[in-house]
Amino acid sequence: MNSVAAYRFVVCSSLFLGGLLSAKPLTLSQSSDSVAPTPPSSVLSSADSKSGSLPSLSTLQARYKTLSKQLSRLKPQEPYILVDTARNHLYLKQRDDVLLDALASTGSGTILPKPGGTTDQWVFDTPRGEFFVQSKLLNPAWVKPDWAFIEEGLEVPRNQADRVEQGVLGAYALGFGKGYFIHGTLYTRLLGKNVTHGCIRLNDDDLKSVYRVARVGTPIIIF
Amino acid sequence: MGHRSSFFNSDGSATPYRFFSPWPLFLLFILLTATCRAEDRGPFPDVDPNDPASLQEVTRVLQEEVKLAARPHTYLLIDLVTRTIHIKGRGLDLYRIPIVAWSMKAPSAVHGTHRLIARPPIARRTVDPTVSIEQVPLSLADMPTAYTLSFTPTLTIEVRPSDEEDLFRRLWAGTKTWWRSLNEWVSSFSGGEPSDPRPALLLELSREQAQSLAWSAVDGMPLVIRRTTDKK
Repeated sequence: MNSVAAYRFVVCSSLFLGGLLSAKPLTLSQSSDSVAPTPPSSVLSSADSKSGSLPSLSTLQARYKTLSKQLSRLKPQEPYILVDTARNHLYLKQRDDVLLDALASTGSGTILPKPGGTTDQWVFDTPRGEFFVQSKLLNPAWVKPDWAFIEEGLEVPRNQADRVEQGVLGAYALGFGKGYFIHGTLYTRLLGKNVTHGCIRLNDDDLKSVYRVARVGTPIIIF
Repeated sequence: MGHRSSFFNSDGSATPYRFFSPWPLFLLFILLTATCRAEDRGPFPDVDPNDPASLQEVTRVLQEEVKLAARPHTYLLIDLVTRTIHIKGRGLDLYRIPIVAWSMKAPSAVHGTHRLIARPPIARRTVDPTVSIEQVPLSLADMPTAYTLSFTPTLTIEVRPSDEEDLFRRLWAGTKTWWRSLNEWVSSFSGGEPSDPRPALLLELSREQAQSLAWSAVDGMPLVIRRTTDKK
């Protein structure tokens, strides 16, 4: 009986203490809440400037809490791929935890004029923004686009079969739209440099790790 | 034996509930509460929860950021309080650039989200199919260290390297700033009415970070600025 009472006491006191702790830091002291200090005009929003009033401290605290939660909900909950094109690194992350930090190669930023005397050109940049893994391929073959021939001073083949090249993209490829892939490379000495035509290259081991964790729909954020 | 009696009955059998010590539960609860408390501080942990002006500013920024994070693009958040430029996407901090020094003109004219009109110009190299040697790609080192970013609605950000040693360049930058101020002062007289405040931000960054910012900036990139409050 005594131990049950002790148990109740501990649970109740922990709830009380927990309540006290969780109530901070946005719960207000009564004195500060009752005072509505005049803010500097430089931080008033246009609406508030017009009305000339500042919401109460408790309103602001509640708003801050709500918005923080909304922002937190927008973050990917599952693992995502982050690519830093400036420093040529690919990270596999979950929230703020880094699951994998891999040296990569990204777009060279060079341009190649299109034939025919037009002003059109190919720009070999890795696209920036947010994408999603759209396809996962095993032992992918490279279907060489026109620029791959023109860049080497070769004629563009008419036969589609002449465009296919095996074994240059590594064991796996993850497509993220418009012909862009995360894939392997034969030129591992160039990892860490901006040398690609827009795709993201990794070494075999890192590519395997990314392939295993990523699924169709995994976000890829490139900056 | 007397000591054992507090855990066992006289016949030696154990009393089950006595092994359910509530203390681990209590400690676990405190630990969880402390964890939640740390997360409660939100995306601006430096904000003073009892300062209405600071809260007003961060909620304004957060309102904008929630809209931006809902879309599939990267955006910039310049936090003048913590002197940090955040490159962000989906509310995640992708990269942070420390600001060495800054100054701002007409901060009250900064509202909402601004969009970058054009990224700094880059001298891209052209691939020559007739040349067999390896083409030199673009790299971070090719990015400028001093440049101006123009946004819409009107906002100008001038980026300068913090270790600018070239006296001529320092003088030139100072002259430009002075000339702009003089122009605005003159136009406020000639127009008869005070001219619209045009916000301008001067950022001093290390050379490498100035190049990083130039690299990461893309046309149309959204920007939100968290301003300082005149507290204390």
